[in-house]
Amino acid sequence: MIEQYLHAISLVEASHEDLAATRERVRDRFPRGATRRMTQLGLLVSSTLDALSPQPEDTLIYASAYGETCALEGYLESFPTPSPTLFQTSIHPSAVQQAMIGRQSPVREFLPLTGRRHLVGGALIPALISPATRVLLCAGEEKGTWLLERGIASDRSFALAIDLRREPNGALARFGVTPVPDDVPMSDLGLGAFFDGLRDRRDLELVAAPGLLVGLSWL
Amino acid sequence: MRIEACECLTAFGGTGETVRALLAGRVALTPQAVLGSAGGELVPLALLRERSFEESAPPNWLPALEALAAQVPGEGWGTARRPVVISSSNFGVGSLYAYRRTGDAAHLAYGTPHLCVDWLARQLGWGPNFTTISHACVSAHLGILHASRLLHSGMAERVLVFSFDFLSPFVAGGFHALRILNGGFPAPYAVRPNGSIGLGDGAAFAVLSKRGGDFVIRAQSVHNEMHHFTANQADGQGFSACLLPLQSAAAGMRLWLKGHGTGTLEAGRLEADALAGIFPEAGLVGWKGSLGHTLGSCGLVELAIACSSIRDGRAPGTVGGGQPSFHAGVALQPFSTREMDGVVCASNAFGGAHAAFLLSHD
Repeated sequence: MIEQYLHAISLVEASHEDLAATRERVRDRFPRGATRRMTQLGLLVSSTLDALSPQPEDTLIYASAYGETCALEGYLESFPTPSPTLFQTSIHPSAVQQAMIGRQSPVREFLPLTGRRHLVGGALIPALISPATRVLLCAGEEKGTWLLERGIASDRSFALAIDLRREPNGALARFGVTPVPDDVPMSDLGLGAFFDGLRDRRDLELVAAPGLLVGLSWL
Repeated sequence: MRIEACECLTAFGGTGETVRALLAGRVALTPQAVLGSAGGELVPLALLRERSFEESAPPNWLPALEALAAQVPGEGWGTARRPVVISSSNFGVGSLYAYRRTGDAAHLAYGTPHLCVDWLARQLGWGPNFTTISHACVSAHLGILHASRLLHSGMAERVLVFSFDFLSPFVAGGFHALRILNGGFPAPYAVRPNGSIGLGDGAAFAVLSKRGGDFVIRAQSVHNEMHHFTANQADGQGFSACLLPLQSAAAGMRLWLKGHGTGTLEAGRLEADALAGIFPEAGLVGWKGSLGHTLGSCGLVELAIACSSIRDGRAPGTVGGGQPSFHAGVALQPFSTREMDGVVCASNAFGGAHAAFLLSHD
């Protein structure tokens, strides 16, 4: 039986807040001056990960459909003299790197994923089959501006992180995999809906791959 | 973990053409304006033959990827127990640059990772069972690692790992802004006053399974320093932390080393020192002085070249390198692999990310 137990959860929602408001709201969690060059997604992901205290031997999995949207928008606007800072910040797993570099926290295994309709299932599968003693699965999006107007950015800002272990004692919830017929369609579940389900402590079932049903049961 | 098939695509062409060109010491990189038709400094880029640097909608690299995908053996990719693991650093992000430059909304359909991959999966006839990984220049290594886990767990019987990155002014402009892409040509592992990299188009695939195929990935390792976005820890411990877990798996084997070797100075020196310290008898090569850095696809592109080299008994040297090198073990000329038992292939990325595996041949 493939299963993992959820031992801790950290959720941060910024809804329709802009970067300055988020920075002001969370600045007490960071060393003085550390937030100056961080993106909104970096601030949100940092906040959720800090609550779970990442350790070097944890496996860290990250999922985001759009990643660093505002840095990407800014980088594109900086041409014909492209900004080196916005270039490196726009690269997909930058939000987690902002968090972990800020903490000076090395980690052996870091798996950044992207996608959209099947992204939640796609992130849960490596978390469930990881050999690590503890897996931290984090995810998030930040609200775009002109890319959102063109329908290719998130319309809300949020981040989540969950602590998964094999140990059932003290767990809040259980993730497990059960077989289903191969022809059952894969479930469409976006990160926002997953965030809402975790916030509301709702049980969840999704076909994460053909033949594989992942279930979340709160204990 | 076994490799049933592995092929690549570079500026020279397919795997065979690429290996022959590298063995002949040819350099695919040529000086081109960093922003294409918008101009800028001439920098070393290696584009697929006859591919324009200017983005089109749909992207002009699709026919090359279709030709590469046609070489993938087997059917039913993206269906039950035959997942596809797709990795890239840039996906179709060059299309967003094209949109900003031209205002043509047709480019937007390829601009995000999921739009690009969903479109590509439709074009290549894959089912919905795919996972998309993006971790800059170690993306392909992570694709191989995830594929291994799927096979070990029993969730897959075969896995297709497919990786691609094609150049655009978006990415060339970024590396140029960081000043590591400049007017100089890369000389991997060479001691010289200024470092420089080249960039190249690249794509590759590998079909992995627990049975079948004559190449074996005996061990894999990753490590993320999380010390600085664009610099490594000065003592090189990040490189060693990734490589040390491979040492026991390689005990008693006669090895050669395929390093990352982009042409930057500090990272090149740290990498060469770490490899020489852990595998002191092994020669070291890097191929980005010819092909350019193929970014997220480099780990898989260079795996295909390594497999072909081992099969044919001769590996290319460090094209573009020179003396003095950071380490005496840097091989500048082609060499025989017939007396070797395996190769360690390593890649690195932003954030101090490191990935490596040990490859051998039955």
